[in-house]
Amino acid sequence: MRSVSAWFGRYALQLVVLVIVIVSMYALYPAFRVEASIERLIPLGVIAAGLAVTMIAGEFDLSIASMAALAGALTVTLSGLGLIVAVLITVTVCTLFGMLQGWAIAKLGINSLVFTVGTLVLIRGVTWLVCGGLAISIDDIAASDIFYGRLLFLSPLSATGLVILVALGIFLSRTRWGRELYALGSSRPEAIAAGVRYPRGMVIAFGISAGCGAVGGSLTSALSGSAAPNALESMLVAGIAAALVGGISIAGGRGTMVNVFLGFAIISVLAAGLAGMGAKAFVSQLFIGVFLLLIVLAEYFIARVGEQSRRSRLRRLAEA
Amino acid sequence: MTTVQGSAIGFQERAGIRRTLNAIRNYSLPILIALVYIVASILVPQFLTFETIRAILLATSVTGIIAAGMTAITLSGNLFSLGVTASVVLSGVIYIWVGSASGNIYIGAIAAIFAALVVGFAQGFIVGLGLNPVVVTLAAGAIIYGATAIVTGGKVVAAQSRELGRFATFAIVGIPLPVFVLVAFTAVAWFLTERTKIGRNVHLLGFNKLTARNSGISFMGTTIWAFLIFSVGLGVAAVLQVSQTLQVQADNFPELTMNVVAAVLVGGTAVTGGDGSPVKSVIGALFIATITQIMVLVGVPQGTRYFVLGVVVVVLVVTLHLLRKAGSR
Repeated sequence: MRSVSAWFGRYALQLVVLVIVIVSMYALYPAFRVEASIERLIPLGVIAAGLAVTMIAGEFDLSIASMAALAGALTVTLSGLGLIVAVLITVTVCTLFGMLQGWAIAKLGINSLVFTVGTLVLIRGVTWLVCGGLAISIDDIAASDIFYGRLLFLSPLSATGLVILVALGIFLSRTRWGRELYALGSSRPEAIAAGVRYPRGMVIAFGISAGCGAVGGSLTSALSGSAAPNALESMLVAGIAAALVGGISIAGGRGTMVNVFLGFAIISVLAAGLAGMGAKAFVSQLFIGVFLLLIVLAEYFIARVGEQSRRSRLRRLAEA
Repeated sequence: MTTVQGSAIGFQERAGIRRTLNAIRNYSLPILIALVYIVASILVPQFLTFETIRAILLATSVTGIIAAGMTAITLSGNLFSLGVTASVVLSGVIYIWVGSASGNIYIGAIAAIFAALVVGFAQGFIVGLGLNPVVVTLAAGAIIYGATAIVTGGKVVAAQSRELGRFATFAIVGIPLPVFVLVAFTAVAWFLTERTKIGRNVHLLGFNKLTARNSGISFMGTTIWAFLIFSVGLGVAAVLQVSQTLQVQADNFPELTMNVVAAVLVGGTAVTGGDGSPVKSVIGALFIATITQIMVLVGVPQGTRYFVLGVVVVVLVVTLHLLRKAGSR
């Protein structure tokens, strides 16, 4: 019983915000269907998960949206082999590339923000080359029909997204390599001194990040049957917003996949509701920005109040 | 006695190596640019013409001015602003509106710079509280973009008269005004960050935040100053950019933010703060513009241009990082 209340206490801020958002969407727009928002797990949810993994490890992967666009282009190019095979090959190739990126960051000891600014442009360039500078589409239009089935209330795509989130959650919280990412993110020198292997952590974190981006981009293109060189650019901001609104700490070492899911849910309910009401995409951009700012400010003030009460408690102890 | 002397010589030798490495790091980009210009003027026939150089300088001016201002933020240890594009669009819209309404381009320009200062101050204040600058500027960018798009209805805001383009068309001995503004603003930014008390505080804060705070430097105040320097540049650059196109839309300039960040990084300012200069960032912007212009002249398609640019940024950033690491040992 106590663990249940502790669980709710841990995610209280995000749960309250999510309930408020859902209720206000239903109030403003009665025809709103909350379960439709979950379809946005591909690409937004998995991209947010990928960003969250690197943030937990104390790093930042700005190249993830470019990676998603590259995966989309590769999937369309390879679609002659069969769509599922194309998706699998693409995700494997992109994950390997991400692992290489993580290895390079670890070996060079370079700030990942700096390195991935470069690869953001580079991978976008590769995407242009793969596409030949134009939007491309799959020849066999019927090929993407397999993605239109239904499992309960989930489509095959959102089911895949959910499975990835759950798998990552188990990996991060229950395996040694996953726990090591938290250690590297929260106190790196101590973690390395205690025997955590920093290069391995980076390879894992950036491999997962690129893999998540690839799944998001690849399945988006597989569903729509097309890819464009400048696709999914807005996913970087939306993904960061989802991860941070959910309560992942950008300083590293804090947050779980439950946080990612809650953040994703808040952002996608908001976007889906606004889109349903006929608002343009830039209106939801405004709301995403406001939410992001409010949540980080709220967390900042909560942390400050907590720190002050801790100090006054210590002072009282010292006086007693 | 001899051992002490031996270690002293060793230390001196190491200091010498360190100086050499730092010198290589400081002068590598200007030398590289010089090499690129020499090679290009031999191999690319239309390169060494007045038109090409003019185009390169004009392309450098907007990115360079913003990069020079952004350097103040990076120097103060607050990484980058990722909301450049949105703020430039906002200032551009204000310039066209106020400039058209008042019929005076100077009032329009002042209003645009003032708008940039207001949003810059707000961001500087929030970052000054101790929040992550990347997150704050990203969120602010989304808010500014959304608000600008809502107010303009997502439509193109176009100038009613060509009068508003005078800042871009005005030229002295054939060189357009934006290039002179770039030089002037870089000089001001250099003076502010290298020769004033604010600049010294910015450097110290970026170099060692705890020490700076313990020696009485206000994190809040210094961060706000850095954002204000950045915002002036951003407003000026927005006016110059919109003077060239005479119209602006919320979705414009999507690649501007990353170009500015790339210019700062390629220029060699340390992302951790405390080391670098606005002049370096402008040279970084000049380098990127030169490479792009050469590829345009040779007829390289857009996709390959992006790719080459990405390779150049990664290689330069890694090289600078390795040189810095070796030089600080």
